[in-house]
Amino acid sequence: MKKLYYDAKKCTACKTCEIVCAIGHSPSKDLYTAILEDNAALPSVRVYAGQDENYPMACRHCKDHPCVSACIASALRYDPKEGLLFDKEKCVGCWMCIMVCPYGAVRPDFRDSKSVRCDLCADIKDPRCAKNCPTKAIIYVEEKAINV
Amino acid sequence: MKRVIIIGNSAAGISCAEALRKKDKEIKITILSKEDYTGYNRCLISYYLAGDIKEDKLVYKPKKFYSENDIELLLNKKAGRIEPKKNQVVLEDKTRLDYDYLVLACGASPKLPEIKGIHKKGVFGFRTISDAKGMLELLPITQAACVLGGGLIGLKAAYGLKKRKIEVKVIVKSPQILSQILDKESAGMCKRRLVENGIEIVSGSEAQEIIGEGDCKAVKLDSGKVIASSIVVVGKGVKPNIELAEDSGIKFEEGILVDEYMRTNIPNIYAAGDIAQSYDPILEKTAVNALWPNAIEQGLIAAGSILGEPNKKYPGSVGMNSVEFFGLPVISFGITRPQDGFEEIVFKDAQQDIYRKIVLKNNVVKGAVFVKRIENIGILLKLARLKVDVSGIKDKLPRPDFNFAFTKDLQYDKEEVYI
Repeated sequence: MKKLYYDAKKCTACKTCEIVCAIGHSPSKDLYTAILEDNAALPSVRVYAGQDENYPMACRHCKDHPCVSACIASALRYDPKEGLLFDKEKCVGCWMCIMVCPYGAVRPDFRDSKSVRCDLCADIKDPRCAKNCPTKAIIYVEEKAINV
Repeated sequence: MKRVIIIGNSAAGISCAEALRKKDKEIKITILSKEDYTGYNRCLISYYLAGDIKEDKLVYKPKKFYSENDIELLLNKKAGRIEPKKNQVVLEDKTRLDYDYLVLACGASPKLPEIKGIHKKGVFGFRTISDAKGMLELLPITQAACVLGGGLIGLKAAYGLKKRKIEVKVIVKSPQILSQILDKESAGMCKRRLVENGIEIVSGSEAQEIIGEGDCKAVKLDSGKVIASSIVVVGKGVKPNIELAEDSGIKFEEGILVDEYMRTNIPNIYAAGDIAQSYDPILEKTAVNALWPNAIEQGLIAAGSILGEPNKKYPGSVGMNSVEFFGLPVISFGITRPQDGFEEIVFKDAQQDIYRKIVLKNNVVKGAVFVKRIENIGILLKLARLKVDVSGIKDKLPRPDFNFAFTKDLQYDKEEVYI
């Protein structure tokens, strides 16, 4: 499957990825209306600053996925072709996935008691963070195509 | 054709069956359950009791899951004993079932204190759909309820009942609630939140008797005080259902002892889930960590072992919990109330109810408690599991802005997404 990869040296922590993620997952999908929406989405990608590098962090759709085992509401499932699939409607906000994610890639949204995680922009099948990254630090490619 | 019998139809049993079928289309799989339901999300019964979710959300595996995966599900069937020499399970109705592999995923049961009246109608453990439904049926005639014990299950029941507008008193012998999973500070924060929302915590007392003619009407405490209560929830912990192992030659202590392949001492008998006592990498000894995530993973490991995948070793179970009371989320894992020889690093903002404590031993994470700001605790769980030396960053660990980037220099992760 295609996955997101990050060039930590190219990332300038401009947070464009966070903004386009939040807009893209908000009802209006438009910056100027989204910021006024009560239920504007939280970004599922966060950029964390390191020493000389910056690290965008989003769900890695791990092959080994402790969150799926931990979910008490059967809201998570893993498909080898599509990655981690999240049925938000089933989520009860128990935060077990946050407890076990080894990367801190899931976050809680306390407004509706649902977890927030990257869905690789399933609606357009083209992650907005990668498409809009000004420095091309975020790359969306087939797993096998990349040598890390 | 090989036949696997799985005793128990919850997290461990179902994950085992599902994983077996995924890899082996031939093997015959039978699940025995003493309950009357197809697989359900056991941990959600408190949400159901509270009215936060409807019954349909409890469904974990509907009937069609069993038919589609060719899994024979025998409901209301209780195993009476195991005869390992004959490779047979004998049901309580005397039926004998032959197996090639047996998986004990029989779970655990609430510990009931031996007090007068404990079997009266209106007294519940809080573990099954039936328990939740039993309480819901009594709601119209209930004004007040008592919870015996200040553990997680009891407090979840208290929360659920309070949300149903029932007066709830929690009777706790020790001065601290949630003493199995939280330290004094974080437990105090939870207690305050519960009390602010109308749940009364009665500390220093224990129930002595359940009073009532047939139906429960009141609880008498050892202090002599009598509390009117038509629902009593017993939250005094659970004990693994090891009865089947007794006299069978299967080794057990608190739970059934398993190796890193979830095998018991008898080669073709496995145990997984709340019944199993497995290695705990944080405590560095075996323990029963009866939790949904552990049960799911142990079921998967048992399936792998049965199918002969020797590379899939179980990394061990860890005690971990996540709970939220009236908008205050709390996550903890491992050792939270350390004895001598441990180091504790704390961040606290009392005004905002934020508390983050890390417990270390020889610069290795051994436990953590996060209140309100719960993000990124999973990173610490991973560091604890891998026993990573965190001396270079330990002062930063409890900070609310702690994140994965702080751990980069530790180089414990294979960095598969950063180029």
